Amino acid sequence: MFLYEKKLQYPVKIANPNPKLAKVIISQVGGPDGELGASMRYLNQRYSMPYDELKGLLTDIGTEELGHMEMVAAIIHQLTRKMSTEEIIRSGLDTYFVDHTAGVYPTAASGFPWSAASMAVKGDVLADLNEDLAAEQKARVTYDNILRLSDDPDVNNVIRFLREREVVHYQRFGEGLRLAMEKMNQKNLYAVNPSFDR
Amino acid sequence: MENQFADMERYRLGSLPDPAPLAAAYIPMQDSVNPNYTPPEALSRGTLFPGLDLPFMNVVNPDLEQTPMTELMAIGFVVDELELYLDTHAEDREAFELYQTMLAVKKEAMERYARRCAPLLQTDQLGMERYAWLDSPWPWEYRNKREG
Repeated sequence: MFLYEKKLQYPVKIANPNPKLAKVIISQVGGPDGELGASMRYLNQRYSMPYDELKGLLTDIGTEELGHMEMVAAIIHQLTRKMSTEEIIRSGLDTYFVDHTAGVYPTAASGFPWSAASMAVKGDVLADLNEDLAAEQKARVTYDNILRLSDDPDVNNVIRFLREREVVHYQRFGEGLRLAMEKMNQKNLYAVNPSFDR
Repeated sequence: MENQFADMERYRLGSLPDPAPLAAAYIPMQDSVNPNYTPPEALSRGTLFPGLDLPFMNVVNPDLEQTPMTELMAIGFVVDELELYLDTHAEDREAFELYQTMLAVKKEAMERYARRCAPLLQTDQLGMERYAWLDSPWPWEYRNKREG
């Protein structure tokens, strides 16, 4: 089950509100490659994993991603405080504000609400781990793009931290894939699906 | 920070299987938890391991201001990193021993913070005089002044 530590993994202290920046960063909460999607993907894939190392890895990374979702939400929350009506309209956040005010709603920057359609649980060891590798790269690129669009140092410090986590997760999933393949039929990795054929 | 690892090029290399069957993707296994950053360095870089420190446009974070909370975050982060490493390197004794050391440091740091500042876990409230769990600030809130 889930325990909550009342602290963030890395500090989020955004001195300057900026609704325009919030408009793009929201994608890392509820976008196709955001932290909510990552945590749902990993926490749901772990049930059909046959090997302990993978059950542990998916549980631990999935849990860390929930903490990251909290951090991105904290960025949004702090970027959208004390907005004047003029700022809301000028920033283009008005189309989000009308439905969510200054709440944090899991959506992509495009306005498309978070959807499980952006993630996969295939119930196959190799497919799921390869999906996870791709997911970490896509998340990393999204953070790269945020760094291109943002010049706020308070925001960028957090984004750099979160981006580096994706690099590390990619390495761990790659190692998980190696461990899985070592346990599988070396003459034919695709002979059976260890997640189902046991 | 870069210079101390300049002579140890190996930290950026891992191991691949030999031979490697076709139709499979291979990521090199990280060989060791050494070398590793200090906890505050690790927190600033987003990883404990210089081999995995691959910043965008080679721009890195400044050091964080040292407060009780950032010190706790740094220790907690090293524990998180070691747990992920151990998930794929469960037999690595050196890593496990470093993990034991850091767990003890974290436990002590968490308890000290909870006693002096605020509960971090609901269960920290054992022995407290009141239900302090609801006290501000919550982790996502902006505070202008120094914490703890």
